[in-house]
Amino acid sequence: MMLLPCPWCGPRNSTEFRYVGEAGPRPDPATVTPEQWRRYLYVHANPCGPVRETWYHRAGCRRYLSVERDTATNDVRSAVDTASAAAASSAPGDAR
Amino acid sequence: MSDTPIARGPVAVSPATVRDGWEVDARVATGTLTLSDESPLAKVHVRAPFDGASRAALGVGFGRTARADLGTGEVLVVGSGPGEWLVLGAPNTAGALRAAIEERLAGTGEFTTVLDLTHGRGLLRLTGREAATVLGGVCAIDFGDAVTPDGTALRSSLAAVVTDIVRDDQGGTPSYLLHVERSSGQYLADALLDPGRPSGLEVTGFRGLA
Repeated sequence: MMLLPCPWCGPRNSTEFRYVGEAGPRPDPATVTPEQWRRYLYVHANPCGPVRETWYHRAGCRRYLSVERDTATNDVRSAVDTASAAAASSAPGDAR
Repeated sequence: MSDTPIARGPVAVSPATVRDGWEVDARVATGTLTLSDESPLAKVHVRAPFDGASRAALGVGFGRTARADLGTGEVLVVGSGPGEWLVLGAPNTAGALRAAIEERLAGTGEFTTVLDLTHGRGLLRLTGREAATVLGGVCAIDFGDAVTPDGTALRSSLAAVVTDIVRDDQGGTPSYLLHVERSSGQYLADALLDPGRPSGLEVTGFRGLA
């Protein structure tokens, strides 16, 4: 069994989550080329080691989480709420 | 009140009786471990910013419950998720309860939604000293008093059904409200009766919030 430490609900079985995919910047739909959009949707690095992923806690808090996980050992280094983390990083002068 | 039901819960009842316009189970269990269909309770869902004025107005945060009187009699306010609340009230009060919550939240200035889910959701209550053991058979959560004391609210997978689990003890006896999509109500009741059989789980009629 693989446990994911949800920042809202605590450690939960990974079956409660939906794996969304590797986290990365979303291209601007107004300027992106079809090739870039295809690579964004379907081509992933899939490294053997640490990777930042997005998971959705569908059977719990129903929040999207940014999880840093080692794909070789399944060790989870961090798990934060994606929306909260984005808001904190965009807030000017926020020391968190 | 007429004997003709105007609403039914998700769980089939036999024998049936009518109470507050709802067809409910007529059985009265005498055992110490019981399962009842509490779907006639008014169920109002609220969404608002997680940590804003609405939270203060509702009086409870994520993961906890509180009894309150919002002007429609005693209700149970459940912090069912980050920025989500479930308010349970007496049968046939959903409209008044929704209006009362909207009025209470109007002054916060926050964007909120208040929705009556009464007929779209199922609500079961599992009561008894062995209730945690029964739940433990279909869910990975630790239902011990140290982890989930009275007044705890959480959402998890119960027999593979996404369920709001609310611990709401009755007279010192552990009791759990289980809130699910209406279409999963019958399945969840069956899924609980199976592991509960060795502990003597019996079906009983509608009890209400008290």
